[in-house]
This record gives sequence, C-alpha cells and structure tokens, in this order.
Amino acid sequence: MSGVRSLRIGLALLALVAASGCATKVERLDESQAVDLSGAWNDTDSRLVSQEMIQDSLSRAWLQEFRGRPGQARPAVIVGEVRNMSHEHINTATFTLEMERALINSGKVDFVAAKTERRDIRDERKDQDLNARADTRNAMGKELGADFMLTGTINTIVDPSGDTQVRFYQVNLTLISLADNRKVWVGQKDIRKLVTRSKLRF
Amino acid sequence: MFADRVASRVPVPCAAACLVALAGCTTFSDTIQSTEQSLARQQPQVALTQYERLSPSGADRVLHLMNKGMLQRMAGDYEQSTRTLEQAKRGVEELRALSLREQALSVAVNDATKSFIGEDFEQVMVNAYIALNYLEQGKLDAARVEALQVDLLLREKAQSAPNSPYVEDAFARYLTGIVYEDEREWSDAMIAYRKAYEAYQSQLKSFGVAVPETLKHDLIRLADRMGLTEEARGYRQEFAIKETPSVAELLERGEIILTVHSGLAPIKRERAATVLNPATGRFLRIALPQYRSRAQPLAYARLSAEPASASSSRVESIDAIAVKSLESEMPAITARAIARMAVKDAAASAASHSGGNSSGSSAAAGIAGLAINLAAVLTERADTRSWFTLPGEIQLARLSLPPGDYKVRVELRGHDQGVLDSREIKIALRKGEKKYVSRHWIPTNLEVRP
Repeated sequence: MSGVRSLRIGLALLALVAASGCATKVERLDESQAVDLSGAWNDTDSRLVSQEMIQDSLSRAWLQEFRGRPGQARPAVIVGEVRNMSHEHINTATFTLEMERALINSGKVDFVAAKTERRDIRDERKDQDLNARADTRNAMGKELGADFMLTGTINTIVDPSGDTQVRFYQVNLTLISLADNRKVWVGQKDIRKLVTRSKLRF
Repeated sequence: MFADRVASRVPVPCAAACLVALAGCTTFSDTIQSTEQSLARQQPQVALTQYERLSPSGADRVLHLMNKGMLQRMAGDYEQSTRTLEQAKRGVEELRALSLREQALSVAVNDATKSFIGEDFEQVMVNAYIALNYLEQGKLDAARVEALQVDLLLREKAQSAPNSPYVEDAFARYLTGIVYEDEREWSDAMIAYRKAYEAYQSQLKSFGVAVPETLKHDLIRLADRMGLTEEARGYRQEFAIKETPSVAELLERGEIILTVHSGLAPIKRERAATVLNPATGRFLRIALPQYRSRAQPLAYARLSAEPASASSSRVESIDAIAVKSLESEMPAITARAIARMAVKDAAASAASHSGGNSSGSSAAAGIAGLAINLAAVLTERADTRSWFTLPGEIQLARLSLPPGDYKVRVELRGHDQGVLDSREIKIALRKGEKKYVSRHWIPTNLEVRP
C-alpha cells in the first residue's frame, strides 16, 4: 500500500505546483536592468542606443560650429525617418523620442514638430483663427524652420548555425543640414548578441 | 511491469469511462468542415466566426493561429491577420525545442499529441503572408523585414535538412525579390530573383511549377540594370525574349502586382487498418496520414486596365509541396506508428497476464487487458493536422501602366477559358509606384472534407 500512498502524495504535490503557476505574477523592474528573453530587439537595446547617441551628438563639433554663426543661438532640428532595414520589426520611436527629450532638456537644441504632428497643430491654429479671442490668437506663417533633419537606419547581420546565432545590430543616425545637404553629424551604435536557442522544453 | 501494476488496480467502471471519453476524441480536421463550407459559399467572414468558436487544445495553438490569420486575411482584415500570424510565428519559435514529454506521448498515444509547429513550407508561408499583408497595406519597409526573415529561415532549413525536397521556396524567394526591387535594392533583388529561378528549375520535377513568365522578364531587367550583360544575354536566349522594359522605363510608370490565391490546401486524412491478431486475440491498429488533393479549376487570371492587360502565371503549388513533404516524412511517421503499435500491444499483453492464480483476479486481468487493448486501438489516430486554409496554389501577374487612375478588372479563367469570377477594383498609380492586390478565390464546388 505504501506505493499507492506515495503516488497520492506525489499527485497532490504535482497539483500544488501546477496551481501555483496559475496566478499572474508581476515584478517591477528597474529600467536600467537588462532583461533579455527572446534575444530580439528590446528596451535595453533602445536605451543603449539613445544613451550613446545623446552623449555623442551633444559633444561633437557641429553644435559649437552652429552656435558660432552670427545671429544663431540654437539649432532647430526636425526628426525625419529612421528606416528599419533590419530583420526584426523594431519601433524606432523609442530612441528618437528619448534623444529628442534629452537634447531639448540640454537647452542647446530646439526641436520642431514633425510632419504628422504639424498637421494637427495647423488645424488647431486654423480653429483659433475662427474661435479664439483676438489677443490669444496665434498667427499662421510664423513657424520655426528647421536647420537640420535627423534621419537614420537600423541594419542587422545575422549569422545562424544550428541553435546558436550571432546577431549584429548597427544603428546609424545622421544630422543633415537643410540649407546645403551637408551631413554635420553621424552617430553610430553597434550591438552584438549571441543567442542560443533551448534544445529542450517541457 | 508498470503497466500490469496499473492494470490490476484500475477498476472496471473507471476503464469503461475512459473508453467512452476516448471514443469521443476526434481529430482536429473533423471540426473544420463547416469552415470550409462557408469558404466555398464565398463567405470568409462567416468562416472566420465559425472557426473562432473552436477552442483549440494546447498542442493545436499554432495551427489555430495560422488558420485564423489566414481567414482574417481572406476577410480583408490585414492588420489583425498580421497580428495573429506574428503570434503563430512566435509560437513556432517557442515550440521548436524538443519536448521529451510530447515525444513520450507520441509513442504511447499518437502523433497528434505533439505540439503543432507546421511543416517547413507552412512556416515559410507564415512569413510570406505577413509580407503580403504589409505590401497590400503599402508598408514596404515592414514587408522587407519579413523578406529578411524568409532569407534566414530558408538558410536554417537548408542547413538542417539539406536533402529534403523542400529546401528552397521558389515563391517566397520571388516575393522577397519583388520587395527588394521595390526598395530599389537592385543587387539584393537580383540575388533573390536568381535564387527563385534556380529553385523553380530544380524543383520542377517534384512540384511541377515552371519558371513564371513574369520572373523571366524580371531576371533580364535586373541583370541589365546590374550591368551583367553576359547573364542578361543568356536569359534572353533561354527565354526567347527580345524586348522587356528596363528598370528606368518601369520607374517612369506605375505597376500593379496581383497575387491570386486559389482553392485550399489538400485535405490531410487518415488511412488506418485494424486487424485482429488471432494468436493473441488482441486488436492491432495502425493509422497514417495521407493527403488528398482538391481539384484546381483555375487556369490563370487576367488583369486588364485600359490600355494594357497581363496574364498570371503559377508561382507556387502548395498542393504539390504538401504532398511531397509528407511523402519524404512517411518513413519516419511509419516507423513511429509501428513502434507505437508494439508498445501498446505489450501494455495490453502485460495487463491481461497480470492476474494471480485465483479465477477472480485472472478474469479482472482479462478485462483490464481488453480495456487497454481497446483504448490503444481507439487512440491510434493519424496526425491529420495541417494549415488547411492555405491556398492550393498561388498565381502572380505584373502589369505596368502609366501613372493615373484605373479601373482594373481581375478575371479568373478556367481550363476551358470560361470566366470563373470577375471583379473590378479602382487603383490610383503614381510614377514609380507599385500597388499590391490579392484575390483569394475558393471554387463554389470545393471538395469539402467528409
């Protein structure tokens, strides 16, 4: 009979283990803590890119050079398209927004609204023309023109072999002068990962 | 020894209850008949609603997602379809690792207890259909991501199974070429077109799809653009094509790229044999999967807009790929089925011989042995799961037109030249722009699974 009893105890234990896995568990993570689950592009990569780009763009010569020009205080930048040429669907807005925020807060650079944002703002201004009090109206045609456009690409090279692959991401961001197409700054961040797929599962 | 210990302790009513439960165990394909019927009635939305009502078991999750994603696409909801197929893709990625538990179950019960991750071609088709979804929504860069994933996936397949009949997917390669060309990445497009061409040639015997007419022109155009004069001349000679618009000429015009997804993938059915072994008095059963192709009434599609028109050519026969893929796996499936039969018979034999000397316990053992034998026979089912909402074949047509607004007529023609279906779509083309349209067509007299 001892076999049956131990079988029962075992089953009860198993049920307990299974039941404990049922409740949703949430654990808050520090945003600087790297958690890699699938090996795909994640928040850590995005953060690494924005950190590198912010630091690099603020410390390079283009900023000094622009401010040295007569009558110029702060360059105005518009965010163009960061094209995803990689093998993963990547949201590029996460690091461009981070960069925008850091650059604005540095007080050294102005950002102007991008194409899609502008449309809403112009609609609002049009609406003000009709409905707002005269002394609070903002007139058309007084927008700040951008001096530079920020564009970029994400590229990847993947080298798979069996269950292991090396993933190489290269993010390039470029500031192009709208006056003469000059590239005044090119930032680059490389990320390499070794991803090993599990051979066994439950 | 374990089997007989269990057998001697399983009470008879319990065994009977198990049997009743097992008898009700139907395979996945039994439940999808109504979905197929709705598709044949040209009601993809109804088919989707019916299919969504199914609650799949854990092992069928990926299959359910694949079918659902395809039905959403047929119903015109590209966004949801992409989302669902992405989930399927992730599911495949997670389930690729070997599960010892499922392996053991597949030997003890049947192959359908294993988590479905699709055949190689079904996995590639997930990427291809996500790419098509994006293309039809005008999201070229997102489609390019899928194109790169197809490259990766096919590279992996070629590494892991170099001798399988399906190491390349000609249509998937062709589609990636079209995406790269649209991105104006000429060298990548050239390489992809070339790979597609090689795949069509090498797989002609097994899959029966010749190099599509459009691809011949694409190869010449890109070879010219890359300055590969020798290669271009070779293609011109081989295909007997003298004139084809150059890349520069094409960029002055717009282009409509039509894909027609016709019919449904073949039906995967069970072929089984049950015999009574006179020596032991026990039943033996073996069940194997088998594809049954459905008739393909579509001959070609005609795409016409004043002042030009183009005919489609076959770019993929999923029917043939499915049949050949299964054929190449049959030895392994058969070996597993035989091993399973032996394991199940041994369990039944152990149970029926477990009784002691008293007449009561030997009678109980006999019943237990019979119960196990019956359970073994009833659970012996073939794995008939397949992505049944895939089309039987895919056709493609390219039509270049000067920029402007068009009413484009898509006519599907049968083998007797009769018009099977005709539709008009409005398309506005800009200079250098490519518009992707697709048509899923299921014949009204579709052969529905019994």
